[in-house]
Amino acid sequence: MRLTGIRRFHFARDAEEALSLLAAYDGGAALLAGGVDLLRSPRGDIEGVIDITRIGLSYVRESRGGLAIGATTTLTEILASAAAPAYAGGLLASALSQVAAPPLRNMATLGGALVSAHPWADIPTVLVALGAEVRWQGEKVGKAPVEELYGTAFRGLFRRAVALEVVLPPWEGAFAHEKISRTRYDIALLNACCGLGLDGEEIRWARVAVGARPNRGERLPWAEEALIGRKPGGELWNEVQRLVESRVEVGDDRRAGAAWRRRTAGVLVRRALARAAQRGET
Amino acid sequence: MAVETQQGGAVGQSVRKVDGPSLVAGKPLFTLDLDIPGSLVGAILPSPHAHARIVSVDTSAAEQVPGVRAILHHGNVPRVPYTTAGQGWPEPSPYDTVLFDTKVRFVGDRVAAVAAETEDAAAEALARIRVEYELLPPILSPEEALAPGAPIIHDEPDAEGIYDASHNIAAAVDIPIGDAAAALAAAPVTAEATCEIPYSQHATIEPHCVIAYFDDAGRLVVRTSTQVPFHVRRIVARVVGLDPARIRVVKPRIGGGFGSKQEVLLEPVAALLALRTGRPVRMAYTRQEVFVASRTRHPMKVTVRLGATKDGALHALEMDVLSNTGAYGAHALTVLSNVGSKTLPLYNKAPHVHFHGRAVYTNLPVAGAYRGYGATQGYFALEVAMDKLAEKLGLDPVELRRRNYIRVGETSPIFEKIGEGREGTAQIVRSCALEECLRIGAERIGWREKRGQRREEGPWVHGLGMACAMQGSGITGVDMAAATLVMQDDGSFRLLVGATDLGTGSDTILAQIAAQELGVPVDRVLVYSSDTDFTPFDTGAYASSTTYVSGNAVLRAASDVRAQILDVAAAALGERASALELAAGVVRSRKSGKSLTLSEIGHRATYVTDQRQIAATASFACPESPPPFAAFFCEVAVDRETGVVRVERFVVAADCGVAIHPQAAEGQLEGAVLQGIGHALCEEMLFSPRGRCLNAGFFDYKIPSSLDAPAIEAILVPSEEPTGPWGAKSISEVGINGPLPAISNAIYDAVGARMVRAPFTPERVRFALGVIP
Amino acid sequence: MKLSFELNGIEHYLDVEPGEPLLSLLRRLGMKSVKEGCGTGDCGACTVLLDGRAVRSCLMVAPQVQGKRVMTLDGLGTVNDPHPLQEAFLECGAVQCGFCTPGMILVAYELLTRTSDPTPDDVRNAIAGNLCRCTGYVKIVDAVLRAAEWKREGRWR
Ligand SMILES: Cc1cc2nc3c(=O)[nH]c(=O)nc-3n(C[C@H](O)[C@H](O)[C@H](O)COP(=O)(O)OP(=O)(O)OC[C@H]3O[C@@H](n4cnc5c(N)ncnc54)[C@H](O)[C@@H]3O)c2cc1C
Ligand code: FES
Ligand code: FES
Repeated sequence: MRLTGIRRFHFARDAEEALSLLAAYDGGAALLAGGVDLLRSPRGDIEGVIDITRIGLSYVRESRGGLAIGATTTLTEILASAAAPAYAGGLLASALSQVAAPPLRNMATLGGALVSAHPWADIPTVLVALGAEVRWQGEKVGKAPVEELYGTAFRGLFRRAVALEVVLPPWEGAFAHEKISRTRYDIALLNACCGLGLDGEEIRWARVAVGARPNRGERLPWAEEALIGRKPGGELWNEVQRLVESRVEVGDDRRAGAAWRRRTAGVLVRRALARAAQRGET
Repeated sequence: MAVETQQGGAVGQSVRKVDGPSLVAGKPLFTLDLDIPGSLVGAILPSPHAHARIVSVDTSAAEQVPGVRAILHHGNVPRVPYTTAGQGWPEPSPYDTVLFDTKVRFVGDRVAAVAAETEDAAAEALARIRVEYELLPPILSPEEALAPGAPIIHDEPDAEGIYDASHNIAAAVDIPIGDAAAALAAAPVTAEATCEIPYSQHATIEPHCVIAYFDDAGRLVVRTSTQVPFHVRRIVARVVGLDPARIRVVKPRIGGGFGSKQEVLLEPVAALLALRTGRPVRMAYTRQEVFVASRTRHPMKVTVRLGATKDGALHALEMDVLSNTGAYGAHALTVLSNVGSKTLPLYNKAPHVHFHGRAVYTNLPVAGAYRGYGATQGYFALEVAMDKLAEKLGLDPVELRRRNYIRVGETSPIFEKIGEGREGTAQIVRSCALEECLRIGAERIGWREKRGQRREEGPWVHGLGMACAMQGSGITGVDMAAATLVMQDDGSFRLLVGATDLGTGSDTILAQIAAQELGVPVDRVLVYSSDTDFTPFDTGAYASSTTYVSGNAVLRAASDVRAQILDVAAAALGERASALELAAGVVRSRKSGKSLTLSEIGHRATYVTDQRQIAATASFACPESPPPFAAFFCEVAVDRETGVVRVERFVVAADCGVAIHPQAAEGQLEGAVLQGIGHALCEEMLFSPRGRCLNAGFFDYKIPSSLDAPAIEAILVPSEEPTGPWGAKSISEVGINGPLPAISNAIYDAVGARMVRAPFTPERVRFALGVIP
Repeated sequence: MKLSFELNGIEHYLDVEPGEPLLSLLRRLGMKSVKEGCGTGDCGACTVLLDGRAVRSCLMVAPQVQGKRVMTLDGLGTVNDPHPLQEAFLECGAVQCGFCTPGMILVAYELLTRTSDPTPDDVRNAIAGNLCRCTGYVKIVDAVLRAAEWKREGRWR
């Protein structure tokens, strides 16, 4: 195997040290969490890496009814945590266990997934659907909804900041994630994450996000609006399916074509809604 | 673990794999597991263009890179046309390749090679080689290649054996028997299918790799991950211009082959770099290079037309093939021939048969041998057409096969008409348990109850499909294997074979074949395979030849040694050899009851009286190629809304004669079936409009994972092949021929869509179910 | 840079290039059971256990194992004294070419340290990221289930 271009390796003791090292390299260094992305295709311009897995950012905590997950928590640790399985109707357990395969989940961190934000990935779709918020430390401490961040030049931000924690808000109701891939050990050709909260016979809130279209997962606010205040059930899901089919923005890539994505997006949203509703009831 | 001694007859028992204990312990058994001090690293500069002339190569900057020891390119390497196909000599593949040419013919074609002290230095040097190209229009499909006025891919004057270079046709076959066109026109019922298979890759988990070094006598040793060590020696010698007697090829453990290592790719480059530098050189393809620059299955479009009587007797069979051999013609003719020769004899009753095919050049990666060797492509179309015919006839597809498949004692004119790039050999089928395979397979899957039911489970619709297939066991008139068996003084044996175990278990199987004849447990036979200095010749592990061809050679050597043992014992006991029997390590006289152990016999022959080495070398040339047969049944579930197909169950019942090692035979079937499922559902190499492969890696070229594999039910249905060693025939390839058509037919049963273009991706299936706006 | 870690029960102190992939370091140290099938994290042939968790050694650089325990297949059992899991692979015919085997055994080992009673689906999930092109996975799944059975019977270590 070839050497990576990495010339120097540092274990940061805390976020401040990571930041000062980043600053010292002036763009020539990167933060290293699981390394699944960073070391898979090392950027040519990176000379130093700063390992941030030993600065105490690996945890899953309950936080005001939601979850606070440290940025360097691996997907396996999230899956194995006490708090995650019950959250959002079991969303994390089912969505994360479909990400890659165990040895990669043993390495990959939530923060890495958040920052890499691959357009085909499931995690960004899930985070956006959940309305997750990320806290970071750069020149200042910052905090923003993931969705908002993805609308900005966030990669630049995380070259000068350490993501510290992802906060998943409390939801009264349940979510479900759907994914279609070529094999079961594969990235998504298309994914959808939907959530619902019921108030008796009425939908009180709804979240709908679709990813790998081939672009990164985003919410479909018009689909959510079409759900709120309505009576849950097959008819409504079918209606939203048709709505998604007609309005969702999709494109072609080598993995799938736009026409298939358009049709299938409707199907996945319908299925995720139905499953979320079912989970919410139990 | 104590190596357990296996008692009783060795054949038919799933004994412990002879190389198993060291493999599960992770011992350094593979090519690159050997560290040779002072080794250089070799690397290859690939062409970035699909079709271009090399105007100049400037290596001056590359030579300045510290640690660079040699650079090879067309300007400093003699031009020797050859074929990379590791086949018997003279090879039926065209000599259309040279080590470094003045023209590149696909993205990834070899432009230059370097040897350097480190991988980084080698990579740096490659990056600094300046090549000036004159771009030529690329040809990216067989149709374009055949179009009038198409650019000529092989315009070099020194190529040999190309069928029609000026029209980009590497090979062509046309075999008419009777008058198929007229018979089809007159047939009461006809069916037709055109099926297409894209570029797909073997994807052995061990990439191609080699170490070339010099032994203490200054001879060149090539330690390589190959299926064909003897062909490697012959071809390397010719291409690099070295006396073959100066070359030793060693095949250690191999991390899978499936045909991709029946190709001589890195060996001559590593050999030449070693010769130029006087240093050991190690080379390995990256995974990306394995995809692009090793070999692939031949993409093909195959059309089958069937004509039958109203009661389902096939009367006419027509098969038309357009094969894409890529930039070079490795196996172009022979794979093409096999599309017909391994499929059409299965339905031997039709008096009118026409097989017609062309293999054409394109500026895409080079196709080669891949498990199934053309038969896989042929069966896809043939068995889908059979399914259509059954439907038209209103006949159960199993019954249609029953009425037409070849029986024991029968022959097909195809056996004689189509061979490996020449005429074949007439043969009759001496063993066939396809009837049983069909019966057991149908029963196991629940054919009667479940077919045509379209059972629904939410959006999922279930369907059943089936297919039949056969293959061969070795290549008649071409394959030859030899074995040397030596008895040691302690009464144990050494078996030296040129046969190459690629993970198939052939070392174990060959030991069993010998042990059975010698009446000893398998662990008394020490096997050593594939070293051109020490083991006798073998054409290699391909064409499903090892158990049958190499096995027969081993059996002959073992019976010769057995006779020698009895002679020594007869002299010692003062009895006639004919009164003696050999069993459980002891020679016993039926007359007197007196006995001698093999160890006593070994000591006597080695040290005491009438001293000699008890040993024999025997060879076996393949006079006929008995086909193994298989029936495939599967249940799929199709998600009507997304087009996703799941293989729920897969049953394969196969007749490989007597299974020498049932567990290994099952393993071959299971592995072959899963590769076939990969072909059917997910495997396809994609190319840019300029011919660059877009998914040369496991991230985007998907092979089935454990979660995609159904619990494949492999059933061995015994028959006895009278010409086989202990009744055995082959098993390694036949299993890959069924999944494509069986799954296509099952999807049809479920949702009424005929999938004829592989792989059956969600998108293709969803489109086939109805127009998506 | 200096690196200290435990490899198959033995403490190592050595000097490494910070950019050296863990895979290449381990092979350099003689652990040839760690295979390179892709170098990009996709195939699983390079799997090792890091503090008991299966990871891809091709996606790590050497310094990441500072102060940790690394186990390769070499640390599990030997030819003459194989671990029951290795025995199970042999007995069930789960090895064909053997190139995927080291990684496969290690992910199975991780699974079986966590549970003694996996379902066939658990096994398929655990090995999903380890590609095998030879076997069709049938006999590998059998082998892991058999090893689990032996573990439940107390034949384990
Ligand atoms: C084979 C494979 C299959 C995959 N399948 C899926 C899938 O099915 N679904 C899915 O959603 N994803 C999938 N992924 C993506 C996977 O989830 C991410 O690659 C992984 O989570 C990245 O995490 P990491 O810790 O390894 O990141 P690293 O490689 O360590 O880092 C990634 C990037 O983020 C930066 N970074 C990391 N942590 C921080 C931080 N705390 N603050 C600031 N910057 C940071 C790094 O500098 C780097 O630029 C797959 C990846 C692979 C390789
Ligand atoms: S070599 Fe590491 S996953 Fe393939
Ligand atoms: S046994 Fe060959 S890859 Fe698994």
